[in-house]
Amino acid sequence: MTALIEEKNEEIKNQPKEQSKDRDIARGRVIVITSGKGGVGKTTTNANIGTALARAGKKVVMIDTDLGLRNLDLLLGLENRIVYTIVDVVEERCKLKQALVKDKKNPNLCLLAAAQTRDKTAVTEDQLKDICSQLQKDFDFILVDCPAGIEQGFQNAVAGASEAIVVTTPEMSAVRDADRIIGLLEAKEEIKSYKLLVNRVRPSMIATNDMMSVEDVSEILSTPIIGIIPEDSGIITSTNKGEPIVNDEKSLAGQAYANVARRILGEDVPFLNLESDTSMVGKVKKFFTGLFGKEK
Amino acid sequence: MKDIFTDLYNKVFGFFRQAEKKEEESAKDVACNRLKFVLMQDRTNLTPELMDRMRRELIELLSKYVEMDKEALELGFEQEGTQMALMLSIPVVRAKDESEIEAILAKEDEEKAKREAESAEESSEIEDSSSSESKTEEIVTEENEASTDDEDTMSGDITEEVSKLEKSEDLLVGAVVSSPISSQNKSNESVSGKKEEKKPVDAISK
Repeated sequence: MTALIEEKNEEIKNQPKEQSKDRDIARGRVIVITSGKGGVGKTTTNANIGTALARAGKKVVMIDTDLGLRNLDLLLGLENRIVYTIVDVVEERCKLKQALVKDKKNPNLCLLAAAQTRDKTAVTEDQLKDICSQLQKDFDFILVDCPAGIEQGFQNAVAGASEAIVVTTPEMSAVRDADRIIGLLEAKEEIKSYKLLVNRVRPSMIATNDMMSVEDVSEILSTPIIGIIPEDSGIITSTNKGEPIVNDEKSLAGQAYANVARRILGEDVPFLNLESDTSMVGKVKKFFTGLFGKEK
Repeated sequence: MKDIFTDLYNKVFGFFRQAEKKEEESAKDVACNRLKFVLMQDRTNLTPELMDRMRRELIELLSKYVEMDKEALELGFEQEGTQMALMLSIPVVRAKDESEIEAILAKEDEEKAKREAESAEESSEIEDSSSSESKTEEIVTEENEASTDDEDTMSGDITEEVSKLEKSEDLLVGAVVSSPISSQNKSNESVSGKKEEKKPVDAISK
């Protein structure tokens, strides 16, 4: 009797595994980039990871689901090329392929822009799921840029995804909101894995114990980290130019984003040593703490 | 004159104490501790309504023993080191006489005995059906709900009130001691459990 039950259990276990394997081979990965709190760098992260993956030779499409508040087009410098938006696709004014805007530099990279004149109710969860599954046939990666908040916009963005990157900063409000988002992601069966990207890290402040460290944030949220991005004024200038910072190989933030993309592709890349280039004051402090023992 | 000096002394001393404290705890530690606590609170399943109910039931129980300022009673979570504590602050208006308390308790016991005799058959049935622990828990919560129904409908009758107090007594023990902590543990367990399940899948790193 027990043997019979065991056999049955094995059958049940085996079936879905095989199915999911086939799906992984045939279709692209759908990753939602979310945060809960606004202004922590979701869209910047999306633009940079997307660009880095495309530079690595992958076919990438980014979907901006922030209806009414679109910005991903600006960060990529594509704002003048948008003809159709995701709402036009949903309302069948155009085909999905017509609405995909190709990147200026990289033909592997596409954008499906959000509508600026509509609100979050213009697209439903099922419609987004459908769009994602259509895109999975032609692209290796579908990056979904999620709006801030935990309402319908979030639910829509998460609907088609099976992986998530939760963007946060080492600030209390951002970490708290990230915790909420992680709770919601856990409740979603479709989300198979999620990781933390800690943005706007200031190594000099962490060194003086004035800011939570990346390890603190990871421990508090008990979530593994996929990326640590230092605070970088270059982000502002690159946004102004409409060119993601990963294209600038000298930039530390750009390198950090490139490393995130490599980790997504399965490479084991160590985290950048951000403390190496702290200010002169930091170096002097380090020297003295080295002389007189541990600083309090 | 003396008052002025003591006041001044306290102020000056207090200032230095504050300064000391600030040096002891870095901004990072403060942030971490505050965050851990607020997340604990966020993750517990105690809604404001439930907290309010807990408050009401506590007042009911405690007013048997002391006369207190019900409006000024404070109930909330606070952090004690790494542990979360349920803090209850009760301004006592007047301590009740021994005889007063005994009278209330005697009345209660009487009522209890009466009730037990009445519901002996009922409860025996319930006990039969509730062989497992989880079932008894369910019944406790059901009773819990029933008791508040009583509260709403028959608040005038004194004997009813006493019986209700007696009923809510054991419920309260459950509510104060175990329920916030256990529910929190449960949610934490489920969170960490799920996470551990998911980590090996780890499609992002693959």
